[in-house]
Amino acid sequence: MKVAAVFINLLYFLLLAPLLEGVMRKITARIQSRQGPPLYQPYLDLIKLLGKENLNAAGHRAFRLAPLLAFASILAVVALLPFGGGSNFLAHSSDLMTLIYFLTLSGFAVLLGALASGNPFASVGASREMMTIIMLEPVLAMTLILGAVRSGSFSLAEALGGVAAPGELSYFLMLAVFLVALQAFVSRQPFDIPEAEVEILEGPYMEYSGPDYALFRYALNIKRMFYGWLLAAGFLGSWLPGNLILSWLVQTILILLIFVAISVVGATHPRYRMDQALKYYAVLMILALIAVGFGVKGW
Amino acid sequence: MSRAEELSRRLREELGNLVLDLETGTPGRLFIDVSKEALGKVAASLKNQGARYQAAVAYDARKTGQGFGLIHTFAFDRDSLLVAVRTFAPEDDPEFESITPLIPGAGWSEREYIDLLGLKFKNHPEPRRLVLSDDWPEGIHPLRRDVPHDLMPPAAEEVAFRLEKAPAGTSIIPFGPFHASLHEPAHFSVYVDGEDIKGCEYRGFMTHRGIEKLAQTELTYNEVPFVAERICGICGSVHSVNYAQAVEAAAGLKIPRRAEFIRTVMLEIERLHSHLLWLGVAGHLIGFDTVFMQSWRIREKIMWLAEKITGNRKTYGMVIIGGVRRDIERQRASEIRVVLTEVEKEMLALEKAILKDKAIHKRTKGVGHLSKEAAVSWNLVGPVARARGLAIDVRKDHPYAAYDEVDFEVVTADSCDVWGTLVVRVKEVYEAIRIINQCLDKLGRLPEHEPLSLVLEGPVPSGRQGLSVVEAPRGEAVHYVLTGDDNRPERWRVRAPTYAHLQAVPDMLLNNKLADFPIIVGQIDPCISCTDRVLVIKLGQGRAELLQKQELERISRSRRKER
Repeated sequence: MKVAAVFINLLYFLLLAPLLEGVMRKITARIQSRQGPPLYQPYLDLIKLLGKENLNAAGHRAFRLAPLLAFASILAVVALLPFGGGSNFLAHSSDLMTLIYFLTLSGFAVLLGALASGNPFASVGASREMMTIIMLEPVLAMTLILGAVRSGSFSLAEALGGVAAPGELSYFLMLAVFLVALQAFVSRQPFDIPEAEVEILEGPYMEYSGPDYALFRYALNIKRMFYGWLLAAGFLGSWLPGNLILSWLVQTILILLIFVAISVVGATHPRYRMDQALKYYAVLMILALIAVGFGVKGW
Repeated sequence: MSRAEELSRRLREELGNLVLDLETGTPGRLFIDVSKEALGKVAASLKNQGARYQAAVAYDARKTGQGFGLIHTFAFDRDSLLVAVRTFAPEDDPEFESITPLIPGAGWSEREYIDLLGLKFKNHPEPRRLVLSDDWPEGIHPLRRDVPHDLMPPAAEEVAFRLEKAPAGTSIIPFGPFHASLHEPAHFSVYVDGEDIKGCEYRGFMTHRGIEKLAQTELTYNEVPFVAERICGICGSVHSVNYAQAVEAAAGLKIPRRAEFIRTVMLEIERLHSHLLWLGVAGHLIGFDTVFMQSWRIREKIMWLAEKITGNRKTYGMVIIGGVRRDIERQRASEIRVVLTEVEKEMLALEKAILKDKAIHKRTKGVGHLSKEAAVSWNLVGPVARARGLAIDVRKDHPYAAYDEVDFEVVTADSCDVWGTLVVRVKEVYEAIRIINQCLDKLGRLPEHEPLSLVLEGPVPSGRQGLSVVEAPRGEAVHYVLTGDDNRPERWRVRAPTYAHLQAVPDMLLNNKLADFPIIVGQIDPCISCTDRVLVIKLGQGRAELLQKQELERISRSRRKER
């Protein structure tokens, strides 16, 4: 069961993640008085891209390596996640830090690809991505660390239990911070700054096409779903029903609803500038720190 | 004493016999001929009296032994007066005094004629190539009479525009010719330090179509309005009306009143269309696609309306010299009113959502700032100038068509930035609706079934000058026509508002963030096709493309021979 949990996690994310993009596109389209593409469109997009010729536009080995690294590390993240409330087979050789490490690695893979491409727009995108990682990853890390503080363990399953346990001031503060940061975690408007189509033409991904680009897209989809999962299974975890199947079902519906909300916010906001977003992130980081402080105090 | 008379007297006093001729026949226009030496003095004198520089027109007058003619046009907006100062230089020494050091906005106009006519300008600060493509051979000046309109010199390889090097401490981000935020080909080489813009260089004129040359060599008076309309996909009517007005003014024609009202209605429908289009694009440029989709949804009703009236969603084809081609009957008028009521209602809802959105304030206030003084010195026009507190509007200042009879407000803002432009253009939507409704009321009272255009009696006399201005949605468009023989203009010059605005863009960009580049360039609503109207050839770059291009050229040339 513990070994199976790893594969169930992987399948769950791999199969569901593109659907969430479909949901976002559909909801956005409805708000914009458009029909929008069918919900399964992102699957078709991925299949189409995967079937294309792979071009190494930059002629650099790191350029090819980056999408593989991004995809592999985000798969590693979801493989580690606890399943059905208990830790899985990989838990004996991993903990909270492993997860944060892989998650950050996937971000750095995007940077690697952007810088290897040598494109000026990609490097502007890379510098924006870098600033975003520096400001946002600590917020995520602190969410998990608060869980560890409150549960007294660095094991993923227990730390998530710590994240989930409601009722204290630190929980509500961190939940508020996470909700506000969610839009930035999934890099949707107003925080889709590193990609900003009209400014820097998808920034880091500019030179990518075909299967390499598909891997980046897929990795991004899975990463987004991970953040939705963290809210549904982490923060709201203690309210999920006890039955394994039922809890899994409720959790999936919750994730879908979260992405509906993300789409609504995204469709009703213009994009911020990096300098405006950084001020916003700084406040989030400070609040997250305070929440951890509360956690340490046991509030 | 009218302003024109006062001005004439003053210039005669200041310059004595350097003023060769003064023509005050047309109300609101003053055509002056001065000798070459006086050009700088006249320009300085006009500028000191508060004139706004519009454009330069130059033409090949060697046929009549006058060498090359150069006309600078100025506007006195408070006094409803347009002034055209003409001078000639001999064929063997086509050099004029540059007025760019005095009036920076004249820089492009003068550079244009260095390229197209081979003129020289003494003391021009930057006499570089502007209009011609990079591989155009030296010494061939396409607007000269002896150069055929279909001349196609062989494309040269390995030629590129020499852009300046980035200043120390900055790097270059290239915007264009193909970029998601530029919808037409233009190249901005933007110098950035991190994300801060420290300067920029512009290279445009990549898609000239030789329209002015074509009108002077191939077309006839009444064919030009349809070509003029195709200068631009958005303000087409502006150009066809403007050209027709210039010819009518030169020929001394007074068109039927009903036609003037119909022209006004079409111009305002076009303005509605353009403002809604721009609003959507502006939303898109700051990453707010919902604004884009919603305002284009409203715009769709206007397109539908235009199709109902003219048969076309855009490029109405309504204007001919002496009038219009289609009537707006009572039945149509009531249909227009219904659509306008809907548009107004939906626009109010959209306005509320946009102007109250805090995030939009954040992205537009203080962005692309250019002071009122700078706007005056760059001769900015239209919503871009009105957003800087300059209450200039051609419709009020130099009334044409039926604007003298309608009541509307000139909307201004004083924030001097993108926000101001946004507010001005949103509010102007309601003014346009008001104007159309008034025109429809008045049309209803005019007799129906009267001819909509004049029947021309005899040919248009040659050698007459006509100067016309129209307030395009983006700002003032200027058309100058010098009538000629063979039933076609001797010279036709188009100056779109973007021609004036683009020259000020580097100042607007300075010290802004790179992320604001799209909306800062977007605030002038650049129309590259309007600006680039004169060219002849397009340059292809890159090895892989080159073969293809030669192949294409071979095919097109053999086709030409077949014909």
